[in-house]
Amino acid sequence: MIDFENVSKTFGKNVRAVRNLSLHIEEGEFVFVMGDSGSGKSTLIRLLLKEIEPTEGQIIVDGEKLVGMKRRRVPYYRRKLGVVFQDFKLLKDRNVYENVAFAQRVVVTPSRQIRKDVPRILTRVGLSAKYKAFPNELSGGEQQRVAIARALVNQPDILLCDEPTGNLDSRNAWEVMQLLEEINAGGTTVVVVTHSQEIVERMGKRVIVMNRGDMIDDRQISGSEE
Amino acid sequence: MRLNTIFYCIGQGLKNIRRHLLFTLASIATITACVLLFSVVYCVLVNLRYTMQTVEETVGITVFFEKDLSEDEIQEIGAQIGERPEIREMRFISGDEAWEIFSQDYLEGAEEMAEDFAGDNPLADMASYEIFLNNVEDQAEFVSWLETVPGVRRVNASSIAAGGMIDLNNAVGYVSIGLIGILLCVSVFLIHNAISMAISARRDEIRIMRLVGATKAFIRTPFLVEGLFIGLLGAAIPLGLVFFLYGRVIAYMEEHLAILAGFMSFLPVQEIMKVLIPVAAALGVGIGLLGSATSVRRHLKV
Ligand SMILES: Nc1ncnc2c1ncn2[C@@H]1O[C@H](COP(=O)(O)OP(=O)(O)OP(=O)(O)O)[C@@H](O)[C@H]1O
Ligand SMILES: [Mg+2]
Repeated sequence: MIDFENVSKTFGKNVRAVRNLSLHIEEGEFVFVMGDSGSGKSTLIRLLLKEIEPTEGQIIVDGEKLVGMKRRRVPYYRRKLGVVFQDFKLLKDRNVYENVAFAQRVVVTPSRQIRKDVPRILTRVGLSAKYKAFPNELSGGEQQRVAIARALVNQPDILLCDEPTGNLDSRNAWEVMQLLEEINAGGTTVVVVTHSQEIVERMGKRVIVMNRGDMIDDRQISGSEE
Repeated sequence: MRLNTIFYCIGQGLKNIRRHLLFTLASIATITACVLLFSVVYCVLVNLRYTMQTVEETVGITVFFEKDLSEDEIQEIGAQIGERPEIREMRFISGDEAWEIFSQDYLEGAEEMAEDFAGDNPLADMASYEIFLNNVEDQAEFVSWLETVPGVRRVNASSIAAGGMIDLNNAVGYVSIGLIGILLCVSVFLIHNAISMAISARRDEIRIMRLVGATKAFIRTPFLVEGLFIGLLGAAIPLGLVFFLYGRVIAYMEEHLAILAGFMSFLPVQEIMKVLIPVAAALGVGIGLLGSATSVRRHLKV
């Protein structure tokens, strides 16, 4: 589903955020990405979203080559992905409902469908009571859940989450992980960036570890999930 | 695009207007000012031109003939002159008519003096043609041609008036082109800036839209709707102002600037609006769309 072929990303002259990375992720897989701050995790996500271009190498997602993709194709490619951004990227001047509905409007979903899908997904992330609130009226964790709802509402083939539980207490974090696992069980490929050793160990999935742009580990963890 | 989406885009465009009311008002004010200036300049120019046309129509050339020619011979030459295409109108004034006009104009109240001349018309051999041209600019050339026609003794033409008018006509033309050009540049620049600011304020929003898979057309449309709306409103306000104030300004001029108003001929407001409405609408919509299109392009690179 996702292939990195000798991908490097250098910012400026010498900030080497990703170095010669080769990585294969199967369709339907659930993968954690770990590593210290600044090790290149978010850069991976941004490369996948085609927000930035690799300096070297090729990335192939669902059979589509990202380097050299036609500009007109990019929006349609992005619709295959759901992304939870590390900084959420919510629209400050729209309420929770509109922030989630927004992602559907952008991909031209019938209003009837939107009115059905948005409340359902908000209920799923436990925010149905706050659908009228604006981002600045929400806690960090609540904003994070809005971001998750927005990423999920279009039922993407691939879900990319950049620290989706960074602002959540362990109980809420665990609930979000359960949700992601459910989504994954439905066939969606899921990539989750996290700092939480605890979550990774409890979930028992494949883990990729980055260090200063290099992938230093790629292994399967036997879960301790009850 | 589906209908649903079109409505959404229009809705977003109108929402944007409300959200950034200050920018929108500034943009509308800019277009309004430009279109209003354009309209005022247009009104002044078109009325000057109209006045000139009216004056042109009353500037004539008078042709006198050799004294020994009979009126029949004169009319023969007249027919020859009448073939020239420059001529709009041509009138024969016989010696008797000339005397009649002269005595009416100058001997009024001195009828006995006029009587003295009766039967002995001092202007008997002053038969002439009064000629009006289609175009005052052709006058100099036409007059020199007339002077070469055999039998023509003298050609009277108010060349100073005609020359002055050509200069004024041309000056008005150049000034109008220059002024309108400057105004256009200024308004496009201002509107581009105003909408650029409005879009910068929404930069994050556009970025996020791109990242969740919005096409450029989808992002662009609300801004174009906004530009269109701003442009239309910016054109409608000055048009309304011109429509309601035009008559009043003329009335004011006639009352307080009688000398100027007496010299001028004014077009009716309907005539003015016939040109101004489509031009102002095109101008407003053009500036609005151009402004929003160029500024939205810069922010669509993600
Ligand atoms: N736009 C940019 N310009 C210059 N350097 C950048 C840019 N984006 C990222 N970097 C650098 O690339 C490196 C990797 O950044 P990245 O955001 O991928 O780290 P990360 O693993 O997500 O860290 P964190 O856990 O703190 O989110 C860092 O050294 C960062 O300073
Ligand atoms: Mg990061």
